[in-house]
Amino acid sequence: MSEKLNLSYPLFESFKNKLKPKRSLAQLALSQVNVFSRLSWQEIKIVENAVHIRNYGPGEPVFKQGDPGSGMYIIIEGSVGIFLDIPHQAPKQLSKLGDGDFFGEIALLDASPRTAAATALENSTIIGFYRPDLMDILRTKPALGGKILLALSEVLAVRLRSTNGELVKVSRKLETALEPGTNE
Amino acid sequence: MNNNEPIAIAPHSLRLFHQSLFKTLVYFFLLILALAGVYKAFPLVLDALFLVVIAAILTAVFNPLVDRLESSGLRRLFGTLLTFGGIFSIVVIGVVKGIPTMLAEVTRIKDIIQQNAAAESLDSMIGAINAQIAEYVPGFQLDLGAISSLSAKFFSQLGSILAGALDTLATVIFILIITMFFLVDGKRMTKSLIGMVPNRYFEMSLNITYKTKQQLTNFLRGQLLAAMGVAIQSFIGLSLLNMIFDTNISGVLIISLIAGMANMIPFVGPFMGMIPAIIVSFFNNLGDPIAVSNFYYILHIVVMFLIVQMIDNNIISPIVVSGSMEMHPLTVILLILIGSQIGVLGMFLAVPAWGISKVVVQEVYQGLKGHRLI
Repeated sequence: MSEKLNLSYPLFESFKNKLKPKRSLAQLALSQVNVFSRLSWQEIKIVENAVHIRNYGPGEPVFKQGDPGSGMYIIIEGSVGIFLDIPHQAPKQLSKLGDGDFFGEIALLDASPRTAAATALENSTIIGFYRPDLMDILRTKPALGGKILLALSEVLAVRLRSTNGELVKVSRKLETALEPGTNE
Repeated sequence: MNNNEPIAIAPHSLRLFHQSLFKTLVYFFLLILALAGVYKAFPLVLDALFLVVIAAILTAVFNPLVDRLESSGLRRLFGTLLTFGGIFSIVVIGVVKGIPTMLAEVTRIKDIIQQNAAAESLDSMIGAINAQIAEYVPGFQLDLGAISSLSAKFFSQLGSILAGALDTLATVIFILIITMFFLVDGKRMTKSLIGMVPNRYFEMSLNITYKTKQQLTNFLRGQLLAAMGVAIQSFIGLSLLNMIFDTNISGVLIISLIAGMANMIPFVGPFMGMIPAIIVSFFNNLGDPIAVSNFYYILHIVVMFLIVQMIDNNIISPIVVSGSMEMHPLTVILLILIGSQIGVLGMFLAVPAWGISKVVVQEVYQGLKGHRLI
């Protein structure tokens, strides 16, 4: 019977730790996002060099509703509230996003105005990945840019399918509601 | 209380007063020193800024090539080195082949002038021109003395022009080194600079920087392609003149390159491009009766360059300079006049500099409006 070799010597452990690649918080956060999740660590490092890490204070807007969209955000640390501005009313909070969450990825493809506002709820460190950064990657590393675009298209496809499903559900409900003999 | 009574000041307060007075005087002195330093250093800062601006323009020209090399899998540093290797090789070949030819030509022309052969030939040519003009405009005479003194002045200043060329070479090397750093590390530098912008203006600044860079690259690329087109056409045209009319124009390649470069200066450039060809044709055909009867082929050269301009303005430029900005001719003339105060380089840079400023202002305005900051 062969015995398992015990290599837990302190020197070996320290050597093993030194060999272990060190990932920055930004790299780890990027690898969690579905747009970058299929990229190798080397590719994620390239993306990390392209993105911008920004710090926001509590209550500071990341972007406002109606601003021209120019990129996506990934929260490394902190929290961000997504708000909908309603005329003559206080802004309505739609959701609260935390560590590792991302938002605004559609703006990478489309410069149409933001449909909601994003505001930091506490001291937050956020990665900004903007269209110029994506264009730069597409120009200098076309293969990597292609992978990111494909992942973005997949995100859009999933959303479109889910929206279609919702639409079918709503139209069925509407049909049922409008059927003769229904009192509701 | 008696007002005439002397006020007693505590020694401690007096010391504090002296200390604060001393502090104020030191600060004032330091402020004067700093202002004097800024005043003295201002021309140096301006010089450095000028080099940086030229390097930034060159970076915009070469960046697409380095990007292309990087996209093919080469590291950016090696891509930059390869680009510079190529440019360096072209410059070396140009210097090795071109400078001795140019110097030989200049020496030959200088010798001819000193021997008064040129003046005689000028005399005969102007005589022929005057005779032709007299048929249509009686009493009109071209002044030979003025032309001779102008050419003598030019050749007497040739020494200082050549000495200035060495200074220019040092400046060019500096500019190339800065350009290399910009090409390798430009993205990181831009990122660090934009990183300093407050969050509120960050997205807008990033977009403005990107769009301006794109516009600038398109504009310069278009200009360079158009210049290359003019150079190639001039080369073909001058070679054809040599073949068909035996115009005996030497240094066709260099003349064509000068014509291409000069073409980047709107309106004035095309005429500047003709001058070297006319000068070379004149000195190469001195005393030749056929050349004299043809006014040293000046008309042939002018017509050839006009055809080149027609092709450039109607076919090449509309295709390649689509990214460039529309400008009123009066604006261009005014800009060139202002640029001429700095010299030939000023004339060359005035129009693109104005174009870039226009793009920046437009983009900043659009950005501020888009983000509802104005």
